[in-house]
Amino acid sequence: MTGLHDTTPRASAGTTAGPAVPTIAASARDLVVTAIGTTLPPAPGADGWFDQRAELGRGYKKLPAACQYLLSATRRALAAAGGGLESTPEERRAVAVGSNHGAARIHTEVDAATTGGEAHLISPAAAPYFSPNLIAGRLAIEHALKGFSLGVHTPGTGGLEAVHAGLRALRFGRADWLLAGAAEEPPPADDKALALDGTPEDGAVALVFEPASAVAARGGRSLGTVTARVFCLPPAAAAAEDGPEHARRLLAAALAGLDLPRLPADGVRLITDGSPVADALARACEGRAEPVTAGSGCLGPVRQVADALGAAEPRLIITAGRAGTVAVARVRPAPHIPLSPMDSPTEGS
Amino acid sequence: MSEIVITGLGAVCRLGTGVDAFWNGVMAARTAEPDRVPDERAEVPLPLYYMVPGRSAVHAGGPASEFTVAAGEEAAADGRVGEVDPYRVAVLMGSSVGDARQTELARAGEAPAVTGGSPPFSMASALAARIGPCAGAVSLSNACSGSGYAIAMGAEMIEAGEADVVIAGGVEAYSRVTIAAFNRMGALGPERPRPFDKGRQGVVLGEGAGAVVLESAAHAAARGARAYARLAGSGWSCDAAHPTAPDPSGTQIKRAMRDALTQAGAGPEDVSFIVPHATGTTLNDSTEAAAMADAFGDRLAEIPLHNLKAIIGHLAGGAGVMGTILAALAFHHGEIPPNPPLREPDPECPVHLPTGITPLDGGVALVNSYAFGGNNISLALQGVAA
Repeated sequence: MTGLHDTTPRASAGTTAGPAVPTIAASARDLVVTAIGTTLPPAPGADGWFDQRAELGRGYKKLPAACQYLLSATRRALAAAGGGLESTPEERRAVAVGSNHGAARIHTEVDAATTGGEAHLISPAAAPYFSPNLIAGRLAIEHALKGFSLGVHTPGTGGLEAVHAGLRALRFGRADWLLAGAAEEPPPADDKALALDGTPEDGAVALVFEPASAVAARGGRSLGTVTARVFCLPPAAAAAEDGPEHARRLLAAALAGLDLPRLPADGVRLITDGSPVADALARACEGRAEPVTAGSGCLGPVRQVADALGAAEPRLIITAGRAGTVAVARVRPAPHIPLSPMDSPTEGS
Repeated sequence: MSEIVITGLGAVCRLGTGVDAFWNGVMAARTAEPDRVPDERAEVPLPLYYMVPGRSAVHAGGPASEFTVAAGEEAAADGRVGEVDPYRVAVLMGSSVGDARQTELARAGEAPAVTGGSPPFSMASALAARIGPCAGAVSLSNACSGSGYAIAMGAEMIEAGEADVVIAGGVEAYSRVTIAAFNRMGALGPERPRPFDKGRQGVVLGEGAGAVVLESAAHAAARGARAYARLAGSGWSCDAAHPTAPDPSGTQIKRAMRDALTQAGAGPEDVSFIVPHATGTTLNDSTEAAAMADAFGDRLAEIPLHNLKAIIGHLAGGAGVMGTILAALAFHHGEIPPNPPLREPDPECPVHLPTGITPLDGGVALVNSYAFGGNNISLALQGVAA
């Protein structure tokens, strides 16, 4: 018997023993949002709106603002989540976070120090955050999220991709509790190396996902479900004559993956940066998508998801980045999602 | 669970461009002292790196994307991905800082200002642009475990029916911010890396990219694609202990190895080969060695390991995929490349590093990748019937 043989039965939140290794554990409908935490400025472009000391206490000063926001948003989510984290073993908790500019300021500062002969003055506490996955990693440390930690950074779509990848991993049994979301901070305005698409984003959105059965077992509350799909329509293909046809077919395939036979007649929002990719998607939506102007990062689409969870009717959030990446999220707020296990299809492993 | 196989390989590293250059170099255990970075503005104590010969894109835009496209196109050609419906092909690429170098060049006026992200993470999109409309192009980080996660996530995409074929891997290109941060954290060594050597002094980072083509065995068989090896399992975990240092207990890296083997339907007694993370830092190597000793007991002295980073350096986001390529080729050729000899083995790291070619006939290979942020992943590979 060696240390690789796990003889300890795994506990699982409110369900039978969780799988030790990936297996199709639950249908997409079985994972529900139990809490939303947001740390966002009172108005776009607001300055000085976040007091990290008041929000987080001591020991967080050197972290990137995006990381501070995410920690704050997560605390707010956990305060509303009703105990799911505490009842989940540490090795069954996970985090997946998207960010496009969360490491921007540290990169700018490290580069300036290095080229200025002051590399020895770089703060050792700040230096690790050149690696943007540390935004999620710091959250993992804070809440003992040992199942897995993912950082996704695809321009524009990284936030929804993080949600999607995190949920998929849960469905394969890699964890039972997920904090997923996005965090951004404005890149330094004086860094002329950066040309932002859209308004700089500032803040974080944190969504807590848990199995519906666990939530029901503790008498918890579901806010709804989120499912997502991704695809890629490269700019050259989008701008070609058959670009809209590619967009239509790719979107149809994504919708089929979300159990939608067609684009809904209403409740569709397209987050657009005005690029040929977004324009091709708009045409594929045949005028049924309400356009929403994209910001410079990947926070906006996740914020739209959070808003949709509080809406009266289901929504479809589509976001398209100028590099070709597209993410589609289907949001069904409770009470559109019954929590009864009888309503969930059973899948074999 | 479907059986996932690797049907294409692509690589770029200090040994050259192409899988043949990589394999020939590791079979020759061709070590080298690190290069001095071709960047006069990098005012750091140890400006050392392994550069890609002949194509280091130090004065071009988007070197990480360029390396990604080179490795990805080679893998796609090798795996005949062009005969697959592109709508059913996805790309996942891991990196530590993506095209951070592009931003640095832009600051110096040597490249246009960057858009989309800082650092830019458009490596997967760059490769997808060569494929056409497709099932996704995701760029993730997860630092030095990035390509391991990209590969595992790619397998999950196939399992979930989101794609039939995934080109997955990772990349790292020289950037000033990385060399400065590693210098500040004291992780770099002044000479070529010597993982598990008593006198090891630290990491030497390396440029490069790797890509593998993943698909189900059934899909590969239906189109007559050759399989190098089977991706039989993966284990994911997070230390959740420290931003950069490994958890000395090794609990979570053991769990990652255990889960990868369990998913592969195997146990520790089945392990026939390991590509350890083995960066050449004192704490990382001793922690991993202790975890493997706990996991494999006395067998650790018999299981051949390959010290890949002693040859190509630490490709960070590309480390896991290079280890995966090495393991896949070892199964394909039936032999494990030799290790560069150690000066003095570390008695605290009781590992087996054969300096000759070792036959490989079956069993399970583990590829370990660990990272800043406490990210750990182990991939389990198996051979396929000829």
